[in-house]
Amino acid sequence: MTPELKAAIAALLAPSTDEGKEPLTAEDVVAFGMWVPASLHVALAELLKAHGFTLYVTVVASHWPGEKPSRRNPDPPPEHFQVATVLRNPTRGASTTFSWRVRLEPGQPLDTLFALFAGADWQEREQYDLVGVHFAGHPDLRRLMMPDDWEGHPLRRDYAIDTPHFPWR
Amino acid sequence: MAVDDANDPNTVNFTNPLLDHMLSVPGLDLAVTSIDKLLTWASSNSLWMFPMATSCCGIEFMATNAARVDLDRMGSIVRATPRQCDVMVVAGTITVKMAPRVKKLWDQMPEPKWCIAMGSCAISGDFYRNIYSVVPGIDTFMPVDVYIPGCPPNPEQLMAGLLRLQEKIKAQRDGTWVPIETRPETEKMNVPAIHRIQDADRDPLLTPAQLDRSRSLGMNGAEHRAADEEGREEAEAYARACHLPTNVLRASRGGKPAEEES
Repeated sequence: MTPELKAAIAALLAPSTDEGKEPLTAEDVVAFGMWVPASLHVALAELLKAHGFTLYVTVVASHWPGEKPSRRNPDPPPEHFQVATVLRNPTRGASTTFSWRVRLEPGQPLDTLFALFAGADWQEREQYDLVGVHFAGHPDLRRLMMPDDWEGHPLRRDYAIDTPHFPWR
Repeated sequence: MAVDDANDPNTVNFTNPLLDHMLSVPGLDLAVTSIDKLLTWASSNSLWMFPMATSCCGIEFMATNAARVDLDRMGSIVRATPRQCDVMVVAGTITVKMAPRVKKLWDQMPEPKWCIAMGSCAISGDFYRNIYSVVPGIDTFMPVDVYIPGCPPNPEQLMAGLLRLQEKIKAQRDGTWVPIETRPETEKMNVPAIHRIQDADRDPLLTPAQLDRSRSLGMNGAEHRAADEEGREEAEAYARACHLPTNVLRASRGGKPAEEES
């Protein structure tokens, strides 16, 4: 990553820093797993695409169920979803990967990247199908893998393995 | 031959397309065999196969048709359309989304037709059977004639299964009663909530209400059996409404006939 890109990302994300924390600087920008507010998801992708990250690698959504407080983990986070997006700069000699994470509350939609990357179409449909994250603005958000009449999203952590399904379970 | 003498009152006009065709061929009307034996020989030695290959069993299926174990020797040719095939070889895991497609292809095959369940996944779902998207055995939605266990079965096993199917066809055409092949059950496996089609345990009068109930129950089957005991009167009423014999109803899923209950 070039210093210019780091500075641009820091400038984009700095206004949304939580109160009581140091504002984001160019040194804080890392290429893997930065937390980004959902409102800046599309803006960050636009910025990266302008800097040569033109290859949409993947999007991975995961479900984090709310846990009971325990002695080891007295303050567990409530139920939420995480969506990680991976972009790649395929330029020869400057090949770089950049990924960031977005935290979503249950039921909160995430803006689609379909307008920027056509390859996001089926990737986002798959995550919607299996994890149940809604991508706002997606033109064709149907199930991709499961049958159309399937109930539930199988890769959620609270999806029981013997969830009964007609007519086999 | 007096076959074409339609005016002779002593002549029985027996017509059969194959016989007519044979009589039109010079010399073949002297063939010393019964036409039934000829048909048996022909149908059991020309089992064209439809490859319903969805996973690694399909690779073994390909190997079976290659040079080492050459299934062409038995007259089994692989055709890529169900309309020309006699045997459907289900080789691989069938998912819930795939199952209606398999059934549709099976329905498109002309009679007489047979089905071979090749490999553990097609037989019972094997270690995928507890996964949300996998059908626990294709015999829950279509009939199966020959089970070939293995993960995957090697080409020789598939050839043995095909030869077993040929023997079954010959015996059936001779009039011998061929029992339904037993499913190679594995111990400590969960019983699917819906029994397979040939199963004695499967209620022939499965009502829509029972199917609905199976949707809300676990897959172990114990709850299902208990709930079925409650819904028996309902099933009998359903049978009477459909003009079906009620004596085939089972007293329980354990297989006791209704008469022994009293």
